[in-house]
Amino acid sequence: MPNIFSSIENIRFNIFELHKIQDILNSEYYQDHDEESLDMVLSSVMDVAEKDMYPVFREMDEKPAYYEDGKVIIHPAVDKMLKIATDNGWLGSHFDYDDGGSRVPMMLSGAASYIMACANNNVGGYIGLTAGAANLIITFGTQELKDLYVPKMLSGDWTGTMALTEPQAGSSLSDITTKAIPQEDGSYKIVGQKIFISGGDGPNVDNIIHLTLARIEGAPAGTKGISLFVVPKNRISADGSLEDNDVITAGDFQKMGQKGYSTVHLSYGEKNNCHGWMVGVENRGLAHMFQMMNGARLDVGLTAAGVATAAYYHSLQYAKERPQGRKLSKDGTKDVSQQQTTIINHPDVRRMLLLQKSVIEGAFSLITECYKLEDQERILEGEAKEEAHLLLELLTPMAKTYPAEMGQVAITNGLQIYGGYGFCTEFPLQQYYRDIRIMSLYEGTTGIQSLDLLGRKVTMQNGRAMQILTQRISETMAASASYDDLKPYAAKLQAKLEMVQEVMTYLLPFAMKGDYEKYLADASIFMQMASNIVIAWQWLKMGVAAKEILLTKSKVGLASSFYESKIETMKYYYKYELPKVDACKEILTNPEDVTLSKSAEANILFS
Amino acid sequence: MNSLVCISKTPETTAKISFNDNNSQFDTEGVQFIMNPYDEWYALVRALEAKEQHGGEVTVINVGPASNDVVIRKALAIGADKAVRVDTEANDAFQVASEIANYAKTGNFDLIYLGKETIDYNGAELGAMIAELLDIAYISFASKMEVDGNVAKIERDIEGGIEVVEVQTPFVISAAKGLAEQRIPNMRGIMMAKRKPLEVVPSSSVQAKVSVKEYKLPEMKSGVKLVDPDNMDELVRLLSEEAKVI
Ligand SMILES: Cc1cc2nc3c(=O)[nH]c(=O)nc-3n(C[C@H](O)[C@H](O)[C@H](O)COP(=O)(O)OP(=O)(O)OC[C@H]3O[C@@H](n4cnc5c(N)ncnc54)[C@H](O)[C@@H]3O)c2cc1C
Repeated sequence: MPNIFSSIENIRFNIFELHKIQDILNSEYYQDHDEESLDMVLSSVMDVAEKDMYPVFREMDEKPAYYEDGKVIIHPAVDKMLKIATDNGWLGSHFDYDDGGSRVPMMLSGAASYIMACANNNVGGYIGLTAGAANLIITFGTQELKDLYVPKMLSGDWTGTMALTEPQAGSSLSDITTKAIPQEDGSYKIVGQKIFISGGDGPNVDNIIHLTLARIEGAPAGTKGISLFVVPKNRISADGSLEDNDVITAGDFQKMGQKGYSTVHLSYGEKNNCHGWMVGVENRGLAHMFQMMNGARLDVGLTAAGVATAAYYHSLQYAKERPQGRKLSKDGTKDVSQQQTTIINHPDVRRMLLLQKSVIEGAFSLITECYKLEDQERILEGEAKEEAHLLLELLTPMAKTYPAEMGQVAITNGLQIYGGYGFCTEFPLQQYYRDIRIMSLYEGTTGIQSLDLLGRKVTMQNGRAMQILTQRISETMAASASYDDLKPYAAKLQAKLEMVQEVMTYLLPFAMKGDYEKYLADASIFMQMASNIVIAWQWLKMGVAAKEILLTKSKVGLASSFYESKIETMKYYYKYELPKVDACKEILTNPEDVTLSKSAEANILFS
Repeated sequence: MNSLVCISKTPETTAKISFNDNNSQFDTEGVQFIMNPYDEWYALVRALEAKEQHGGEVTVINVGPASNDVVIRKALAIGADKAVRVDTEANDAFQVASEIANYAKTGNFDLIYLGKETIDYNGAELGAMIAELLDIAYISFASKMEVDGNVAKIERDIEGGIEVVEVQTPFVISAAKGLAEQRIPNMRGIMMAKRKPLEVVPSSSVQAKVSVKEYKLPEMKSGVKLVDPDNMDELVRLLSEEAKVI
């Protein structure tokens, strides 16, 4: 293991052997890349992660971003990383050539972001948001907006943000009130407050481009009246110089984690002199913004997986080094004259390590699956393209939520392995424990993701995405049939899939009767059930790939023990994690109404 | 200024090292390979800097099988203009030096760069042999170089200090830390590398003179003991009774 925060071996296995990026590279669109050159990109990112990102990880926590004299001050490492990312062409590398990119597959740029998240999760957001904001302008903006903004963003001279949230409109974006007032010159005057804006201030750049949701005067209420605007901190005058655009940094938020990543309160148009330019179609702003939000959701899942990955490797090293206690002898006693054993030899510690390993590797595999679907959506045609799109839509809320929620469980187990030292600030686990906590909150809370999954994604096109998922899982089960010792695991997975069917058979009639409150009441439990099964699918996939490679040859030069460990971790997952699906099913099909408003008023429930 | 940079492939620095065939063969199972860091970070980058300052061309050379192409591509991605691979197994320093010298004679190189040593076998023999075979000067362990016309002023790391020497081109230089700063290949470089020429030339059939009989691993270090910082008495006891250092 070359460093303590990630495993390039596992990344290579995922990209080149498990999810087979070659399938993508065979297309005309991606023909300029090959596995060798993409591996070189991964190594370069890992180099930078080791030399420039991980060394400042603790420091960025100890010296958080702060607000002073109307601006936010952040750690200088961010500016250095922005420069490295732009000098090396990583920012926006997945864009098309005409848009300043290199047509790098999302699978690969996702893996690069994952490496950065493992090394230091305080930094990647500044880069990812800038790319996401530029991509919105590229996709929906006019040529003029593209020419004005995109090159400066990709060169790192300017950064970007997504500005949606307002004090009264967090989960419920339909309640956005920021106003956009049309001007004669085609621009809009923007007035309002945006809070919790990540990277909203701090980087030492000439301009920050806020992709902002606002409501044009007279627009319909709700999400159908929201439009998207480019609102720069400094607007560009006719002569090309920058002038203040009346976007004020009103303050920052001091947080329990991700302290190096600034979170800012922006006030637009206090002097009635803030201009924005519309991107895309009037009143379609939220739909446009979903492009960035879907990307950001995968990014959050990826970052959560990265943080938990780093925590796992730290606790693994600790478990190998910490001597404590002795192994039990055959008569159940301990021989105190013997040296202490290292804690990695205690079954309970191994369980905690395997829990972490199964979560982080399962999560990374699922996210890589999603990025492959995104690449396939670009290169495939007709029904295959549509299938990739639908499956990605279905998997995205899980790929965001599973790493965020189970990553927390993984890290708390990693912290447990450190014993009392885990609780001490001198050791790193407490930082990972705090850093990951945001992942299930921003970019749609777990509650909101679960509503999206059960309320929209499962039912869209009469459940077509669910059918495609079931089909893909069946294909993996069929592939596992070639290996006798994998068959029992495929059978277990099949049984759990049938439970989902039972749950849907129970729940769907409520939706059909119009009782949506009942249908969606336990959406978060459904999320746990569905994502547990989807991760089990990823583990079976990894088991099949490992078996195949053990019989043939590792393409990326990994030792056979790497593949044996995959199979053991799959067994762990099926023994310890998958059975939790049964409990979810029991909850979801239990007819008793406990949390529903019709069962009892809140004041009775909690008196 | 035309440069030839010798590059080699070494196991990744944290690879687990083991041997087979009665400890005479390095077991490569599960080992990840990289370009020898002294070649990549210092020799190659300094050659690129010289090209940026004075013009000319940078050629990289490797003696080895096709599986080495991956590190050669990396050198091209970092900025070398073209590459040559002498298609034969590398068996000992004399054979490799002879192959490189034979190739160097076919070109017009002002400078031949290589890392001060490889991080696997630590031979540090190649530079001197190439220089000898070409009958030109050899400057080893260079940590700084300034070139003016055909004269180079070079700082060498020596025990406890630095020696400053002057030499005329052509010469062979072995690169130590400080000669340049690592560059990582950028997206453009990586994509262009595929289109740069990698010429595979046959070996001139030089025979190796040395063969390895056995490798021996150092004794295993005993396990690490963690002592609670509050328990200084225990630390003192361990240092005096077990480690016997106080
Ligand atoms: C560090 C940080 C960075 C952020 N970065 C950005 C950013 O860059 N840009 C941006 O626009 N925003 C950003 N946000 C805002 C973030 O997306 C919101 O905080 C999040 O969407 C939740 O909104 P809220 O905080 O108002 O909580 P609320 O919406 O008030 O939610 C409170 C609780 O109620 C639940 N809930 C709410 N509605 C429902 C419902 N209908 N059904 C069931 N449960 C419900 C939620 O799940 C949650 O548990 C950031 C937030 C933080 C803390």
